[in-house]
Amino acid sequence: MEERRKAVQFENLSFAYRGANKKALENVSLEIMEGDFVTWMGHTGAGKSTLMYCLNALIPSFVRGKLEGKALVLGKDISKSNVAEMSGEVGLVFQDFEAQLFSTNVELEIAFGLENMGVPRDEMKRIIDELLPLVRLEGLRDREPSTLSGGQKQRLAIASVLAMGPRLLAMDEPTTDLDPIGKWEVLQLAKRLRGRGMTMILIEHETEEALDSEKVVLLKEGRVLGEGPPAEILSDCQLLKEAGVAPLPVAEFFSKLPERPAGGKLPLTVEEAVSEFKRRLKLRPSAVQVLEEKEGEIKRGGEPALKLEGVHYRYPLGVEALRGIDLEIKEGEFVAIIGQNGSGKTTLVKQFNGLLRPTSGRVEVFGRDVGELSPRERAEMVGYVFQNPDHQIFASTVFDEVAFGPRNFGLSEKEVKENVEEALEAVNLIGYEDEDPFLLTKGERQRVAVASVLAVKPRVLILDEPTTGLDYLQQRSMMEMVCSLNRKGHTILIVTHSMPTVAHYAHRTIVLDGGKVLMDDTTRKVFAREGELEEVFLRPPQIVRFGNRLGITPLTVDEMLEVVEPKPS
Amino acid sequence: MVVSIFLYTKPLTPVHRLDPRTKIFAMLLLFGLGLTFNHPLYEGAILIGVLAIALWSGSLANVWRLRYILLILMLFSTALWPFFITGPTEVFRWWRIRVCLESLLYGAAMGMRTAIFLIAGIIFLSTTRIEEFTASLIKLRVPYPMAFAISTAFRLLPTLVGAGSVIIQAQTARGLDLQSGSVVGRMRKFIPLLVPILIYAVRSVNLQAMALESKHFGGKGERTFYLELKPRPADYLVIFLLILIFGAALYWRLTGHGAVLPRL
Repeated sequence: MEERRKAVQFENLSFAYRGANKKALENVSLEIMEGDFVTWMGHTGAGKSTLMYCLNALIPSFVRGKLEGKALVLGKDISKSNVAEMSGEVGLVFQDFEAQLFSTNVELEIAFGLENMGVPRDEMKRIIDELLPLVRLEGLRDREPSTLSGGQKQRLAIASVLAMGPRLLAMDEPTTDLDPIGKWEVLQLAKRLRGRGMTMILIEHETEEALDSEKVVLLKEGRVLGEGPPAEILSDCQLLKEAGVAPLPVAEFFSKLPERPAGGKLPLTVEEAVSEFKRRLKLRPSAVQVLEEKEGEIKRGGEPALKLEGVHYRYPLGVEALRGIDLEIKEGEFVAIIGQNGSGKTTLVKQFNGLLRPTSGRVEVFGRDVGELSPRERAEMVGYVFQNPDHQIFASTVFDEVAFGPRNFGLSEKEVKENVEEALEAVNLIGYEDEDPFLLTKGERQRVAVASVLAVKPRVLILDEPTTGLDYLQQRSMMEMVCSLNRKGHTILIVTHSMPTVAHYAHRTIVLDGGKVLMDDTTRKVFAREGELEEVFLRPPQIVRFGNRLGITPLTVDEMLEVVEPKPS
Repeated sequence: MVVSIFLYTKPLTPVHRLDPRTKIFAMLLLFGLGLTFNHPLYEGAILIGVLAIALWSGSLANVWRLRYILLILMLFSTALWPFFITGPTEVFRWWRIRVCLESLLYGAAMGMRTAIFLIAGIIFLSTTRIEEFTASLIKLRVPYPMAFAISTAFRLLPTLVGAGSVIIQAQTARGLDLQSGSVVGRMRKFIPLLVPILIYAVRSVNLQAMALESKHFGGKGERTFYLELKPRPADYLVIFLLILIFGAALYWRLTGHGAVLPRL
């Protein structure tokens, strides 16, 4: 038998970006065997992407900085190779799929790398014909990439890299910006690719997706914090938390029980959890009652804050995005809106602050028609935080950025100062007034964006994908902050694909499908209808699915812990 | 919502199927034809001809999108040229300004000339893929990085327009009012729009560059093209006809026709 060769060999690899004081990678030593499937995980800024750039010599030949140590990829020393040379053997799929599509149709996109390599036309045609079915884009050959859905774009980006026939494929958070269907499609593709003998590296932040790999590497602040088979790494909740990675909910649940399971191995999947549960645990007799009481504690709110009556919305080019929506949201509620891309979520929430006006139907905010409100009144009633903070940040200090709204609405400089201070306090950014917002981390920039909307003191706050692009710890602190705003009386509406966020924080969940309300109930009742959710490709978080199998619907690990007790032996 | 801002249209017409090099050459000949005359009747005839090609190649919808710009150009041209040139037939005089019939006619012709240029360009972009354009530039011996830069500029545009519209929404939601204020005040209001767009552009260009490098862009060796460029008889016919028309037009102008004033 032929011995398996090493695909990647890093020895004491360090790298500092030019102009940075801190090293992005510090003494990283790693080995990956050919044909392996490895997942790299870690907090934002842990060095995952930097490490990926070392795979095809983007570091050091394109990205400037200081590289130390040894790095061999497929037998080539990256410090002596150039990217073009490596590109045929090492394929990188970048996180931002928009930036890596260059062509005006699907076929030409796949051909692009091949053209650069000088592959003859007949050969290109053969490769394209072979790849299109693999990435499930047959029938879309002639489509312009910008008109594809997110999942399709990402699969196209992957296909265009696969076309070059790499022996090693690395993908940087390929599912981050995708809706649940898109995510599923891309992960299915990754599964199909595994059988092909290719070495695969996946950078992921969703812990459940790492279960399939042969090895998990945890990075923290540029160093390797731990590596090993998923069963070992992913059941170490403490280690994962230290790396800024969300632990698997079922593993976390079992780790918090007073006695450890036999053999010390924690269940990682719902199946494993259910059988472990049946062996040694049972539900408390009061379980159902306890959870029902929690439902009773939810604030039902006061006066109606937002109201839609028979709202239809049609985009100028004829797509009907909302098809008859009736909805009432009361002051003080915390509501999540979920659904696939194209189900109408963003179109819906944009009705509330008048960014879009309904084609027919009525939109009321605190009892008044949105159309009758002045821009200032509107902003004081409904604040809207856009998904990407970088789409609005422009000022040179955090103070000026946050003061932008209140100044626009003509508040006096004294009021502006008061409001800004209050807003910064609400988002925990006191002391950052004179910082340059562009130098903050993504999580902090997101907070600045929220503060800049809060500074006008809106009674309702709408947040579009508030957790996208943030790592586990940033997500948590962001959502804790939103939660505290809710406790102070703000009505909160979030649009999100992140089901754990919904389960943790939202009291009420509205599921949209095809421009209509499919479900509208307390989050617990919505997540109990797992089968129906699956039909629209939505999957409740792992702990909820675990509970559903046992006949209850806990929303968090702590809730689950409250309702179980050991089986009498 | 995804809206293509590329001009390329479907279904494919015979004009789409022409070799892109033929189209570049034909476009240049149409430019030349527009430059030949300065009489509004002659320019009008050419304009009608160009519009007929637009109709035939299915690009009229794209021309229609620019109808206001075209109209404004023609009006301004007719109204402004008389201030710069004069002719023998005076229509009226006010203080030191003389307005002559010839200059009005010349202005109208110049407006139509600009419209011809624009419409010919729109037809080209409506019937030619950016990749075809790049490929033909290379066949015409333009260095690849330069040809690619030209086509990338075209491609970056939709991305920037998309980001731009989100940015405008985000800032108006924070109370940015672009409609009111003095000229200087309004200019200053564009800062909150420009800064995020610029930063977005710089970031995405940097990412694009990395993605390009990773796709063997700029590697050694001959590049191949997936799109086939092969001139067909129709290409030769089109070029031949256009040269014939252009030659005849030149001859006509040189023998004293089609000009209101003796200048270009």
